[in-house]
Amino acid sequence: MQEFEHIQSLWQSHSVEVKISSDEMLAQAKKEVGAIRNRSLLNIAGMVISLIAISSLLLFFDFNSWTTPLGLGIIILLIAVYTFLLYKEHRLIARNDFTEHPGAFLNKLKVYQLSRYNLYNKLYWFYAATVSVGFILCFYEMLQNMDTWVQVAIVSFTIFWITFCATILRRGYMTREKERIDLLIEKFERISSQFQEQETTLL
Amino acid sequence: MDQKDLLFKQIFDTNSKKIFHLCYGYTGDTDSANDLLQETFLKVWQNLDKFRNKSLISTWIYRIAVNTCLTYLRAEKRQAKDELTDNIIENRVEEFSEKNEQVALLYKSISKLEENDRLIITMVLDELPYNEIADISGISEGNLRVKIHRIKQKLTELYNQHARI
Repeated sequence: MQEFEHIQSLWQSHSVEVKISSDEMLAQAKKEVGAIRNRSLLNIAGMVISLIAISSLLLFFDFNSWTTPLGLGIIILLIAVYTFLLYKEHRLIARNDFTEHPGAFLNKLKVYQLSRYNLYNKLYWFYAATVSVGFILCFYEMLQNMDTWVQVAIVSFTIFWITFCATILRRGYMTREKERIDLLIEKFERISSQFQEQETTLL
Repeated sequence: MDQKDLLFKQIFDTNSKKIFHLCYGYTGDTDSANDLLQETFLKVWQNLDKFRNKSLISTWIYRIAVNTCLTYLRAEKRQAKDELTDNIIENRVEEFSEKNEQVALLYKSISKLEENDRLIITMVLDELPYNEIADISGISEGNLRVKIHRIKQKLTELYNQHARI
């Protein structure tokens, strides 16, 4: 028959090993909080760089055919609209501090997930179709003086790339993005209910 | 490294072992305990600016850890960690010793307690002062003494029951 004192000494003598150091914990805490925002920002940065690169073509080159500036214009306009949509999405998660308004942040995260889904689902087909029209218009002049095999190679590669992006890459990205945000939502839901319980039962 | 980072590191180094012990008491396995430890300190980091020294920082962290553990158990709809605790015994045959067996029995016994009792007894086992336990659990000190007496009896009973099997 054991007494409670024995149980207590057993508990205290059982040494536990913490597997993570304070440096690792600090790095992880910072990374988790900022990761989703950073990814969103990187996405926007990539679009802005593309926008500048394609716009510079219009500024620094003279084109003989009206189709090229029209094609480039369509692509630029499309990228600008998409960048704006990405920025709007980014604001959903950037303007809310999870630690201050966990409930509101969680709702925004759900809206962000839905918006992200729309962007890479229905809207993506519009994006792919419009980019294709833009490229066709640009290629009309750009490929004119090239050898036939080069023309075929460029057109084939463009078709392959747009198809690849619209199918395999898009589906993979959507799955990863959904899993990542689902995990975040699950985690934040757990932490949010903790806040509520803390307020009602323990404080 | 800024002030907040230094403070966080200091807090982590001072409290992580105790918090890990608490999480281990709740879950009965190292991996889940580590996950809960990390979630607790993630929360600490996020809320460090809002800590207003109204209570001891260790009390505040304990409270977060306890809530994290409780929410984890409820969210996962985990029953008392019979299976995991059994796993501890089964998977550590190579480390078998009388003491290890006793430790495994202790965790198994703790897992049989109700959630809130588990929370209180782990703090008692860690020798937290009664006023701190009362603060964390939200129970008045008078009631707490009675409750602790009852939980101690129950735990001892469970432990002896398991030890006889």
